Amino acid sequence: MSLFSSIQTGVCLGLAAIVGVSLVGCGEKRDSAAQNTASEQKEPSDSTKASEAPKPSSAPTHIRTAEHNVPATITLADRFPALTPLPDVPVPADNPITDAKVDLGRLLFFDNRLSGDLGTSCASCHDPRMGWGDGQGVSRGYAGTQHWRNSQTTINSAFFTKLFWAGEVPSLEAQAKSAITGNLAGNGDPAMIEERLAQIPDYVTMFREAFGVQRPTFAHVLKAIATFERVAMISRDSPFDQFLSGDHDALSDEAQRGLALFQGKAGCVQCHNGPLMSDEDYHYLDLPQHDVFRTDPLRQVALRYQHYIRGVPEYEYRGAHKDLGLYYTTKVDADKGRFRTPSLRYIEYTAPYMHNGVFSEIEEVIEYYNKGGGDDPNQSPLIRPLNLSEDEQTDLAEFLYSLSGSEIRIPVPRLPEYAIMNPTAGR
Amino acid sequence: MNALPLTSSACPEATSLVSVRAIIYAVCLMTAVCSSSVPADDIPALAPLPKGPPTDAAQAAVGRQLFFDPRLSGDATISCASCHDPEHGWADGQALSRGYPGSKYFRNTPTVLNAVHGTLLYWDGRLPASDIPTVVRDHISEAHFFQADGRLIIERLRQVPEYEEGFRKAFGGEPSYGRILNAVTAFLQTLISKDVPFDRFLQGDESSLTKSAQRGHVLFVGRAGCAQCHNGPMLTDGGFHSLGLTSSPEIFSDPQRHITFRRFFRTLGVPGYEQLRQDPGVYCVSKEGADKELFRTPTLREVAATAPYMHDGQLATLSDVVAFYNEGGGERPSRTSLLQPLRLNQDEQHDLVAFLESLSGTPLDGRRPTIPPYQLRAFGEKQ
Repeated sequence: MSLFSSIQTGVCLGLAAIVGVSLVGCGEKRDSAAQNTASEQKEPSDSTKASEAPKPSSAPTHIRTAEHNVPATITLADRFPALTPLPDVPVPADNPITDAKVDLGRLLFFDNRLSGDLGTSCASCHDPRMGWGDGQGVSRGYAGTQHWRNSQTTINSAFFTKLFWAGEVPSLEAQAKSAITGNLAGNGDPAMIEERLAQIPDYVTMFREAFGVQRPTFAHVLKAIATFERVAMISRDSPFDQFLSGDHDALSDEAQRGLALFQGKAGCVQCHNGPLMSDEDYHYLDLPQHDVFRTDPLRQVALRYQHYIRGVPEYEYRGAHKDLGLYYTTKVDADKGRFRTPSLRYIEYTAPYMHNGVFSEIEEVIEYYNKGGGDDPNQSPLIRPLNLSEDEQTDLAEFLYSLSGSEIRIPVPRLPEYAIMNPTAGR
Repeated sequence: MNALPLTSSACPEATSLVSVRAIIYAVCLMTAVCSSSVPADDIPALAPLPKGPPTDAAQAAVGRQLFFDPRLSGDATISCASCHDPEHGWADGQALSRGYPGSKYFRNTPTVLNAVHGTLLYWDGRLPASDIPTVVRDHISEAHFFQADGRLIIERLRQVPEYEEGFRKAFGGEPSYGRILNAVTAFLQTLISKDVPFDRFLQGDESSLTKSAQRGHVLFVGRAGCAQCHNGPMLTDGGFHSLGLTSSPEIFSDPQRHITFRRFFRTLGVPGYEQLRQDPGVYCVSKEGADKELFRTPTLREVAATAPYMHDGQLATLSDVVAFYNEGGGERPSRTSLLQPLRLNQDEQHDLVAFLESLSGTPLDGRRPTIPPYQLRAFGEKQ
């Protein structure tokens, strides 16, 4: 009893300290379906009842089904945006979805001519075979460099309003721009890219059809890629989605117990909430550093380069030893090491995990949270020892695995080739 | 006979002015002078190569290392020496320069030997030899050369203890972008021809030139008219001329070359760059119609080692070059009136080639230094 209530208290304190402001907004963001289910829930009014049921109920905590219409023993679900199916994909007003853009974006996504030396395409680090990440702890980066962060999946990235691990940009279009031109990513030159595309007749035709332009432009490259991502990279067919839409058998008993833990004792829902299972807020987990930063000089170069170009104070630059996350943008000390909560959807395919890829399996992630994360006193107060049993950890993992639908694989498209558009050589 | 009075006030002006606009004006002035009639007496005499500028040996030592280090390029695959290869007269032996991977360049690589004695650099003279650090910066940052971010280069070098030490010795501090540029410049200042037979000849040692080369010299400054443009100690008037050459078809048939060609003239703001069917030469800098297809007169020093020739490398040998001039140059209407059929016989052409070969000194030290590898730094320590 005291255990549960102390967790709740701790959580509430943590919320007040960290996400209190966003909490106010959370209720407002709830869609009506979620509110309906939530309104039928009751706070665990009887703490004795909670203590009498130390074994987690198999009931989903905020979803009523015929068999499971009793309140959960402990639930945080009411305090956070409900776990719900994904809504329609948000589409920016200045880039409506069309088939022509999707077709063009699909080709561009795989085209290494968008990189400086033709060695890298979007798919190099967002590989369909690797869950649309790259399967590496820390991403490979552009030739001659090594990146300093994990390559995130592009699946469901269309739902984020903060892209990259520290939420540096607000849209897929902006993300594509940074990735193509970033010196550790694509190292592409927009004018060179435009001139390359202008000598590929099929692209010229496709840009004309998609955007009504006479020649390919870099801005339209970004819009086409973003549109492709909004259409082709949506995963909403997970067992949990089926469960949410009423198919109770879609989740195993273990997974259902895991769901209860997720929203209760384990506290995951504090940050992993809403349809995307991300609060899009920033948190500091005090993760261990990935070994490559101790063993690979180019990783050290990349980290210092990031410090340098983001303009951190001299003492931070000189002592560079970890990714400073949100701090690069805000220069507020409290933001050091804070990263935007990632989605948990599709994670079966997206190992390794965390901003630095330090965990290669979901079970390691659970273990880390279970022991209360790291020992930095500045770590997010939302993280504290969970005292999950082995079985509970297994249940939680089962639930996390239920968040992935069928694997999204598309064949590598055949890319259009160069052909000189002005064959009047030497006249 | 026409010539550019390089020895008068025009030259110091061109090399001392900093602003690009001023340089462009100077270029225009030169070309204007060049196309007017000037008495033959005013042609600057061929002269021995002056001494190079004083060079800091420690800086040049770092610069030599950098010159051969591919980590100065974006994907760490090419170094200065990839195109300015000591084995090819500090050029690359190719008609058209390779450029950055995926971005083949559209002009011939000039030698960097004696570059610090030039006036304007590149075939279109877009940067002054008086500001080599900016020329080095242009090579590092341009998409068609190294496509590299200077800040990334700094971090790479700071990860190499030998560089940290070398920069400390040479500059009293750690690698920085300015110091990188200055170090490469210091090395380039050492790349000055040595023991050139023709220079010894000019200083009175007649035996240093063969009889054939001596006859070639007479033709060069006389009937062949070469010295109209190739004069002074660097054997260049520092001006711009059209030889009537038709641009290499490869610039238009190879997509990657054509792409680089178009991007280059686009970024320089050349009007109608998509419609270009010829390399517009210095026009891309001046935007003056009369400058179309004019290229900077290259130095002839070390010319025997830097084949192939011309701004797009379309002439393979010195014999081809002499034959080309003997015919009166190329077909393009832009061709300078300085070019007329020369009616040189085979022996005379051979003599001219012999003279051109006397313009090369003993090879400079082009041994590739060992490139020191990256090292791990003590992680997280303040340093």
